[in-house]
Amino acid sequence: MTLRFDRIASFVFFIIGVLFFTEALKISDSAYGSSVGPKIFPMGLGASLIVLSALLIFQSFKAKSIKTAEDESDSPQYKRFLIILGAAIGYVLLLEPFGYVITTFVFLVIAFQTLERGKWLPTVVIAAAFSGIIYYGYVNILGGSLPGFPV
Amino acid sequence: MGTLDYLLNGFLVAFQWHNILFALLGVVIGTAVGVLPGIGPMSGVALLIPITATLTSGLPVEMAATSSIILLAGVYYGAMYGGSTTSILLNTPGESSSVVTTLDGYQMARQGRAGAALAIAAIGSFVAGIVSLIGLVLLAQPLSKIAIDFGPADYFSLMLLGLAAVSGLAGKSVTKALIMTVVGLMLGTIGIDAVSGIARFTYDSPILFSGIEFLTIAVGLFALGEVFKTIFEKETHDEPVAKITRILPTKSDLKQSAGPIGRSSILGFFLGVLPGAGATLASFFSYISEKKLSKNPDSFGKGNIAGVAGPESANNAASGGAMIPLLTLGIPGSGTTAILMGAFIMYNIQPGPLLFEEHPQVAWGLIASMFLGNLMLLILNMPMVRIFAKIIETPKKYLLPLIIAISVFGVYAVQYTTFDLLLLIGCGVFGYLLAKHDYPLAPLVLALVLGPMIENNMRRALTISNGDFSIFITNPLSLTFLVITLLWLVIPLILRMRGKNVIISEEA
Repeated sequence: MTLRFDRIASFVFFIIGVLFFTEALKISDSAYGSSVGPKIFPMGLGASLIVLSALLIFQSFKAKSIKTAEDESDSPQYKRFLIILGAAIGYVLLLEPFGYVITTFVFLVIAFQTLERGKWLPTVVIAAAFSGIIYYGYVNILGGSLPGFPV
Repeated sequence: MGTLDYLLNGFLVAFQWHNILFALLGVVIGTAVGVLPGIGPMSGVALLIPITATLTSGLPVEMAATSSIILLAGVYYGAMYGGSTTSILLNTPGESSSVVTTLDGYQMARQGRAGAALAIAAIGSFVAGIVSLIGLVLLAQPLSKIAIDFGPADYFSLMLLGLAAVSGLAGKSVTKALIMTVVGLMLGTIGIDAVSGIARFTYDSPILFSGIEFLTIAVGLFALGEVFKTIFEKETHDEPVAKITRILPTKSDLKQSAGPIGRSSILGFFLGVLPGAGATLASFFSYISEKKLSKNPDSFGKGNIAGVAGPESANNAASGGAMIPLLTLGIPGSGTTAILMGAFIMYNIQPGPLLFEEHPQVAWGLIASMFLGNLMLLILNMPMVRIFAKIIETPKKYLLPLIIAISVFGVYAVQYTTFDLLLLIGCGVFGYLLAKHDYPLAPLVLALVLGPMIENNMRRALTISNGDFSIFITNPLSLTFLVITLLWLVIPLILRMRGKNVIISEEA
């Protein structure tokens, strides 16, 4: 699994390196000052990444014969991970239009219930307490600013 | 003014009531972070940066910086105390720096000596904390005097050394660590170039002009990455929590531990000063050397108190020692100190040789507060260890979503953009994926913090030399650093090729 990931990742890093290098070439030179403009360093970085990822591609293909075992025996829990990830993305996208308290409360309720069904009372109490206390404490006591309620 | 005067002034700062409160808050949260498996010192410190920023928002900048750093440093060394608790009671290390403590600590707990083991861990940590602080006080001034003469070329090479040291010891593959380092440096170049004012890699989106915020990346990679990992993978620990009966260690316990504590404090301190080594390695080395020095090495692994006293002292001493390169050179030697450095920079305070001259309040206030914090931790950990042990039982189903919510709040409170929140979640997913496949994250964060400084020093050096790259090798100090950098990367490689096991530092 790690090996397959390595191969894909090293190709991705390789492409990033190439893109970074070519994009760095397009950075304009500074008109004044020294011969060392703003593009030298990024170009160096792009080149290093190309070399390193090529090395990793090489290593991951060489390692083929040695490594086969170590497949994770525990089944990854895609479902609950995806639900929580989706909820988190929805949470941050809706944070500004719907306000802090409502979105945080909803996110926490969904996440708590995804990890363990049932026990609605503690779920609702903890979610409400957290979003309420953070909002009130931050906005009213510390004088910060968070998106309030939708008008 | 001599060192003592500075230190006294530092104590005046540390004894301001709000700073006492911040130190207390820091060490309590730190202990909790240490106890909770899953949240390490890195994610703990990263998560708290935005929260301290809001707590101190009413204070003048320098005072705010002092108070924040006092709290964040408290989390760092507090976690070293707390890490031992789960190792001993649950056989599950709270931090990677407490992995070896499980070997003898859990055995002691099974023999009904959990209290003694916890107490010795706390006492050892305290002694080591004080030893490393004395070292810090003695070395800080002279070291920053030396460092003040460094030119840009020297700095460039020294920072490369710092990066190489962390990459060389992090994770199983040096190639992967170096890739992460380069990616971190790349992320650091996004935004408006400080020297020429030219926008780089921004593609005309104003949100990128100020660069990628380090805080977002750090919280995402470490805190969220860890949360996603726990959500994804089934947690399996059914080990019973050991009971704590008697807390005070016996006289013979103390007698057996005195030697290991003393030796490991000094060993840990020096390992902490070295970049890349850090607390995890220190605890391993301490365990190995105590076993070698012991009259009956067979008793190790069966509940020998020296096997708890040594590593626990060493990891704490190392966390103190790690503050030296950060404060005097401005070069963090580990992931956690890199995050602390990010916090300094957020307050526009540059750690390094000038820190002690320009902001003595911050530097000495921090050092003095660490004396105070260690004392608090000793007091907290002895009678209250039972309460902290209860934290282990916090149900994950509440903890994980709350960590996500705290991360979102923290990043939003500092950045105010939805873009950063999306970046945060993205970093969480990548952090999980990369860490799972042995791509170490600490080098990336370190590189992101050091990147702009490396580039500026490189360009300054090249400006001095009119674009001649040989300045880096004709300058003797710079050449020395570069040679060490090379050795640091090559020697572990050779050792690995010869089939030797190289101890790696997960915490670094």
